[in-house]
Formats: sequence, C-alpha cells, structure tokens
Amino acid sequence: MAYLEHILILISIYTILAISLDLLVGHTGLLPISHAAFYGIGSYTSALLAIRLGVPFILGLLAGMCIAGLLSLLVSLHALRLREDYLAIATFSFQVIAFSLFNNWTRLTKGPLGIMGIPKPDIFGATINSSHLLLALSITLAGFSYAVITAIASSPFGRVLHAIREDELFAQSLGKNTFKYKLTAFTVSAALAGAAGSLYAHYVTYIDPTSYTVPESILVISMVIIGGAGSRWGPLVGAVTLVSIPEGLRLVGLQGPAAANLRQMIYGALLVVTIMIRPHGLMGKRGFRP
Amino acid sequence: MSTQTLLNTLIAASEYALVGLSFAIIYVVARFFHFTHGAVLSSAAYVAYTAKAQLRLPLGLSIVLAISVAGLLGLVLELGVYRKLRRRGATKLTLLVASMGLYLVLQNAISLVFGDSVRVLRDLSHDKSIVFYGGRITNIQLWIILTTPMIFTLAWATLKFTRLGKILRAVANDSELANVVGIDVEKVTLIAFGVGSTLAGLAAVMISLNVDMTPTMGMNVLMMAIVVVIIGGVKSLRGIAVAAMLLAAVRHFGLIWIGAEWQDTTAFLLLSAFLLWRPQRLFGLPLRRASV
Repeated sequence: MAYLEHILILISIYTILAISLDLLVGHTGLLPISHAAFYGIGSYTSALLAIRLGVPFILGLLAGMCIAGLLSLLVSLHALRLREDYLAIATFSFQVIAFSLFNNWTRLTKGPLGIMGIPKPDIFGATINSSHLLLALSITLAGFSYAVITAIASSPFGRVLHAIREDELFAQSLGKNTFKYKLTAFTVSAALAGAAGSLYAHYVTYIDPTSYTVPESILVISMVIIGGAGSRWGPLVGAVTLVSIPEGLRLVGLQGPAAANLRQMIYGALLVVTIMIRPHGLMGKRGFRP
Repeated sequence: MSTQTLLNTLIAASEYALVGLSFAIIYVVARFFHFTHGAVLSSAAYVAYTAKAQLRLPLGLSIVLAISVAGLLGLVLELGVYRKLRRRGATKLTLLVASMGLYLVLQNAISLVFGDSVRVLRDLSHDKSIVFYGGRITNIQLWIILTTPMIFTLAWATLKFTRLGKILRAVANDSELANVVGIDVEKVTLIAFGVGSTLAGLAAVMISLNVDMTPTMGMNVLMMAIVVVIIGGVKSLRGIAVAAMLLAAVRHFGLIWIGAEWQDTTAFLLLSAFLLWRPQRLFGLPLRRASV
C-alpha cells in the first residue's frame, strides 16, 4: 500500500512537471529543454531555505516558485527571440549550466553529495509524515497546477498562445505582442516546475544534482508528447505511463544500473514510436502535431 | 601561458572543428539539430573497441570498420526515421525530438552492453610522445592536429570545385530552389548524412584513441561542436575553424583562473553570449528569424 502511494506521489509530481511544460509545448508550440533546471531550482531553493533557515514548507514552496520564475528570465529573455530549434539549443545550454551549478557550486549545494535531511512538509507547524497525508498533499498540488494551466489554456490569454503556436507571424500582424505572451507563459511554466521541485525535495528528503539533468528534461518532454501535447488529459496520461513503466520493470525484478539504462531506452523508444505512428499522443486530437 | 596549454588548445580545437564539420554537413542540408549524431560518434568508438579488443582484429581494420558503421548508421537514421517523418510533414522540432529519443535508445544500448566505465582502445605500450618546446604531445594527438586541417582543406576543395560540392551548396543555400532546378534533394540529404556520419566516425575513433571512450563521449564532444558550429556559422568552414580555436582557447586558458569543473559552463555561457549579442555569429548568416 505504501508502495502504491509512493508511485502515486511520484505521478503527482511528474504531473505538475508535465502540465506546466505542456503550457509551452502543447499550447504555445515551444520546445524548451530546460524544464529540469527549474525543477532543480525549486528543489534546491526550498531545501536550502528549510535546512539553513528553518523556513516552513509553504513559504519554501512559494520561494521556490518565485526563484524559479525569476531565474527563468535569464534564459527566456534571449531564447524566446530565437527560432524554434535555436530556442531548444539555448534552453539546452541553460539546462547544462544549471546542472553544472548544482554539481559544482559546492559551497551552496554541496555538489554531488547532495542535501540530506530535508524536513517533511509541514502545514502551519503540523508535520506531514504519513504517506496518506503526503499523497493527499501531492494530489492537491497536482490538481491545483492542472486547474491553473487548464484555466490559462481556455482563457483569452490561452487563445493568443494557441495563435502563436499556429502562426506567430499572423498573431503579430493582429497586433499581439507575442514576445510578452511567450515570456509570461514561460515564467508561469518555470514557477510550477519549481513548485514540483519543492514538493519532491520535501518528500524524498534528499536531493542531489543527478535528478536535474538533460535526460530528465527529455523525460518530461516525452511525457507531454506521448500523453498528447496540448490535450486536456495528455500530460496526466503521459506522467502515469512513463512513471509506471520503470516501476513495472522493478516489479519484474530488474534492478541496478542496467535498469536505469533500460528505463531510458524505453523512454527514448516510446518517444520515437509515438512521433512516428501517433504524433498527437495518446490523448491528443488526430491531426495535431507538436 | 605554457606550450603545453597551447598544444592542448590545438588538440581540443581540432576535435571540436572536426566533429563540428561532421555535424554542420548534416545540418545545412537536413536543417534540424540531429542530436543522434552524439550516439553515432559513440557507436563508432565502441565498434572499434569491439573489433580490436573482442574480435582481436588489427587496429587499422577496426578503425575502417568503425568509420563504415558510423556512416551506415547515419544512412539508416535518415532512411528509416527522418525521411519518413519528413514525408508526413514533420517540423524541425519534431525531428529534433525524434533525434533525442533515438539518442537515448542508442546511447543506453551502448551502456547496457559495455557498461559506463571507460574502455581503452589504444595499445598502452605503444604510446609514444614527443617533447616540443617544453610541451609533450603524443602520436595520436599529432595525428589529430595534422588530419583536421587536411580534412578541412579537402572539404573546402570539394565544395568549391566538384559538382557534388556545388550541389551540396545549392541545397544548403535554398533547398526549394534546388529542387526546382532539378536537384534530387532527398538524395543529397542522404549523401550529407552519409558523409557527415562517416566523418564523425573518423573523429570519434581519433578522440577515443586519445582519451579512451565512455558511452556519453559522443554527446560530450557534440555539445562543444554545436557551440562551435552555432558561433562560427553553419555554412562557413572558416567560421567553424575559428570558433573551434576560440572555444578551445577559452576552455583551456580559462583553466588558469577557473577550475576544470566549470568548463562546460563557460562554453555554454559563451554560446549564450553570442546568441544574445551577436546572432550574426562570426562569419555566417544571421540566425535571428526574419520575422518582420
């Protein structure tokens, strides 16, 4: 039972990551490869505040979101001006730089040793220790993120994002400052990724740089695409699918470093297969192409 | 400022330039960032390793085998995946994502079979080095420094004087127009993948003879090569060469002030700086979208 709850909590965390990324991939037509960097920024901010300054979880979460959102400007301000594939490269650079900082700025992050002993989340003083309550918290946050992104997507703001996805030049010709819209979406996306990071850090109580790498970014991209970019339930389905599969592997008995390689192979293969035979993903509408 | 640092810079610059050229050949024709190239690089090295260490073939044959397999892999990727996707109207981004997925599959396959620890290709007893004005350089490193300019010259001559070169330049310049005048763009794309991947095989073998191999060696050097190609300009041989020297210099001379662990960061900061302030790059065309 506790194992199942653990899986569901992981799914919730990845749902937050997937839905926030989908705002950019599915709704705006951008492909940033930097999502894991903001995930990490949220984790480290929240963890360090909790450990060094005793900051309670909710404030840490908010701080993680703010810092992630703010730092996202470092990449979005120049990357969003670039053509689609150069945006991928620019965000890829940011991801590499972020990982390098996590790994080498040992004074702040303890580098590869990671940060241990992060306190479990606490709401107004009451520590949440039981797996049931942690699950409830995770699902709440995931549901909240989903609600936010869905609301944005169906709002007038969201309609402009869709217009940008379809034909940015045309949207500009109608007088929309597309750069500002993209920037706002990017910041929101990064902030939510930071929230996921904060939740993750306080749940597993130990973080290290290896969770926030380029393959992790690609994993979230895969969840979005396989689930169905831009669709209502796609990111959730993608998160469920791609979290369940390696856990399924574990149940069959495959462990150790070979399992990690096999897991990445499966992600990669699913991604390629999806793009080749069903580019709109599991839940997307036929004809939609990310 | 020692001779050794200078030599190291030259060696690194040659590696970046060669890999960069192999990547650029594919990019100018196919028009998307083919990340799987990193796996092509690694695969070549491991094929050479398998041939020499497991099958006990002589080094020369192993190298030829490795380069051939690399070229073949490039062709297979184009024929089996990218061409099909392009026919269905895939965008640059779609192809990029597919190439990332393919990279994950191939690189992890290598890790599964060979493990993540370092594998050695060279004959450790054969390592000879020459002392040159206070710096030490090994045989293979000398090969790297000498081969790269030769290949660049060969590439320049091919592009400028041969019919194939002109066709390649035409497609790189404007593939639609090239199609209109009767050039078989699909065939040229296939050729580009073949040539680029073969060149990558050569580069990978030389690199692994120098610093041994890991499954991620391909992506590591490809990241630097992408920085070089973007800064230098995809269509400019001169640009790639100069950018490679620049990047290698920044990385190696930077070691005087900053630790080795920050090398990747400095490289990508350099790239970001270029993207931000000088999108015209060193010698190429502007990459800023011509959106009015």
